[in-house]
Amino acid sequence: MIKKIKIAFFSLMSFALVSSAYADITFVSWGGAYTAAQQKGYINDWDGKVNVENYNGGLGEIKAQVEAGNVTWDVVDILPDQGVTGCDEGLFLKLDQSEFIDDMIAGPVSECVAPQIFWAYTAFYSKSAFPDKKPKTIKDFFDVEKFPGKRAIHTWANATIEMALVADGVKPEFVYKMMSTPEGIDRAFAKLDTIKDHVIFWSAGSKPLEMISSGEAVMALAYNGRIGAAILTDGKDFDYIWDATVLEQEYLAIPTGTKNEAEARKFVAYAATAKSLAGVTKHITYAPMRKSALKIVKSGEPWFHNGIDVMPHVPTSKKIIKKAIVADPMWWADNGAEVSERFGAWKGN
Amino acid sequence: MSETIKTEILTTDGVPLKDSLKKAERKNKIRATLLVLPLLLFIFFTFIVPIGSMLTRSTDDSYINKVFPKTFEVYKKWDRQGLPPEEVYAAMFLEVKTASGFEIGKASTRMNYAKSGWKSMIKKSKRKFKKIDLNDGPFKEKMIQVDKKWADPQYWLALGVMVDPKTYEYYFNAIDKKYDSEKNVIDQPENRQIYVKTWIKTFKVSILVTFFCLMLGYPIAYLLATLPLKYSNLLMICVLLPFWTSLLVRIVVWMVILQQKGVFNNLMVISGLIADENRWQLMYNQTGTIIVMTQILLPFMVLPLYSVMKTISPNYMRAALNLGASPLHAFWKIYMPNSVPGISAGGMLVFVIAIGYFITPELVGGKDGQMIGNWIGYHLKTTLNWGLSAALGGILLAIMTVLYWVYNKLVGIENIKLG
Repeated sequence: MIKKIKIAFFSLMSFALVSSAYADITFVSWGGAYTAAQQKGYINDWDGKVNVENYNGGLGEIKAQVEAGNVTWDVVDILPDQGVTGCDEGLFLKLDQSEFIDDMIAGPVSECVAPQIFWAYTAFYSKSAFPDKKPKTIKDFFDVEKFPGKRAIHTWANATIEMALVADGVKPEFVYKMMSTPEGIDRAFAKLDTIKDHVIFWSAGSKPLEMISSGEAVMALAYNGRIGAAILTDGKDFDYIWDATVLEQEYLAIPTGTKNEAEARKFVAYAATAKSLAGVTKHITYAPMRKSALKIVKSGEPWFHNGIDVMPHVPTSKKIIKKAIVADPMWWADNGAEVSERFGAWKGN
Repeated sequence: MSETIKTEILTTDGVPLKDSLKKAERKNKIRATLLVLPLLLFIFFTFIVPIGSMLTRSTDDSYINKVFPKTFEVYKKWDRQGLPPEEVYAAMFLEVKTASGFEIGKASTRMNYAKSGWKSMIKKSKRKFKKIDLNDGPFKEKMIQVDKKWADPQYWLALGVMVDPKTYEYYFNAIDKKYDSEKNVIDQPENRQIYVKTWIKTFKVSILVTFFCLMLGYPIAYLLATLPLKYSNLLMICVLLPFWTSLLVRIVVWMVILQQKGVFNNLMVISGLIADENRWQLMYNQTGTIIVMTQILLPFMVLPLYSVMKTISPNYMRAALNLGASPLHAFWKIYMPNSVPGISAGGMLVFVIAIGYFITPELVGGKDGQMIGNWIGYHLKTTLNWGLSAALGGILLAIMTVLYWVYNKLVGIENIKLG
């Protein structure tokens, strides 16, 4: 009898030990195709158990958790301005960046972040909407005379300001310099005024694709991964306007006060490896932020999971990046609130 | 005197009956209080404390005063002409250099609300000040070398609004006003004025949604209350079914119906009522917000109306008609007044929910359908300007309280009935 109890006890103990060797990690990301790509790209191959949760971005929930001292998120997928502000405010832990810091295409934006992918705000259209002459530049996007029809853009200000300036003749590399002067912002809004009556607004990432498919709009701005999926897996006749593409970065960070700090750090290190990043690109047309990961993709072509070349759809190829703008998180951390209020006023009037 | 003592009734053990009763009552009272105590505590900790602590943020500016005590002390003596004197620069230098990174980060987020650009300026300075020694004054020129924004009086003037640990600035921001450096209240620049318009819009949409819900909900509730059971049950399911369906699903379905190439517009074009190139814009604007919110909030109107109408005896109407009133007159004089408690309850419920609505305006609001809740959300999540969020929320709460008070004066709160 005692022996039996002993066996039961030890087996329970060992069970407890095994299960605590890999504490559950709560990984919070944006959901949808992107998180599915993270899941297939590297989370599934992780030894431990990962609870994937979705959120809508922003630092609100993280700040609330950290201030209340009850942090339930271990790893969060964030945008660069969150990476800057969150690190400044002590909401995120500092990370060991030695592994990737010399291997980055851009960034990292702060000491608290590990690389994931580049995604982009890209203009696109349906080929059938323009049987003759096709729009090629962002100028065409803003030219409602030459290419009549509705434009679908997102309800917030990011990227639209940048694109408007390029359409008005500002070189991509001078966009943020221009935006740092009041005249530059006025100029962007003046350009936006020219298409205002032809704009419909979306706020969910799937909408611009539906709007183009249904013919509700003839051109739209969208996340390039969504366009890529529509072309590569749904066989839509969409085409990109790879001009004034605004590249946004995506990072991982660990909220201060997580109960699984050691595990979270291990997981983030794993998620930021070149192999993991290339794994994401296998399932969604976002670009890895590490040069070595991009190499894996290039040499592995056709890399996309259904056996198609993915590089033409990834926003960091040489041809695209020459005419692209890398979004400046510091500018947006400084001016985001002011410009967003102005954008809101512009929209509603 | 002696007579009054005599009239006092005593219990068998000689204690005055009054006291004895009181004692017994007290026991009951304590017992009753103990029973509701968990609920009271629950409400206190999950409702009053969080809301209270959030609201205190709307006037709280103490953090920045803790990070820059010396700077603000010398700053207050400055006459706000041109650039501040060296001692202000020196104090600022010292405090930026010696404060921890987190403190400075948090403080710079706050400073950025007052003037865009503080954030990057402080961040850059914090990094570069490391190379300048503390005894290496004067600092004015050196700081300007690090970032030329230190020579821009606009930034220094913006500090003036933060020098007190209590501030009403967020409340003024919430109505498109702000402090100048002398703490006079002035207008925001015109192209940033967004909140007053949004407040008006929020009320307009909420009132319209409440009105449409009443117009649509009243006949439904009437039918529900008067039809024979087997039909009314079916109708009830029709009312409740959408209520049980996911909010997002319903919103997306409305998008399919209302968009320009959607079902409704297609039908209108096919039937020749509108021309193909003049399709109506019913989505991604205020119209869309109102239509979708009306449908989503309809059950909140129907259910209280129904439960009140159920209690109105059909005999009243019959009597009125018997006595020669026209049906319309009978309805207006007899039925309607009896259903007022339901209208009140439904109206209040729909209006209160509508005024703080967030998700529907976010998804279908597009151009001009966004409401104050969307800005509260924006500042909570993106700018982390919780002070402004709290002020917007506080104003919302205050407006609701006033409305409730007015309502109580006009209609009487006892005239609300949820069932």
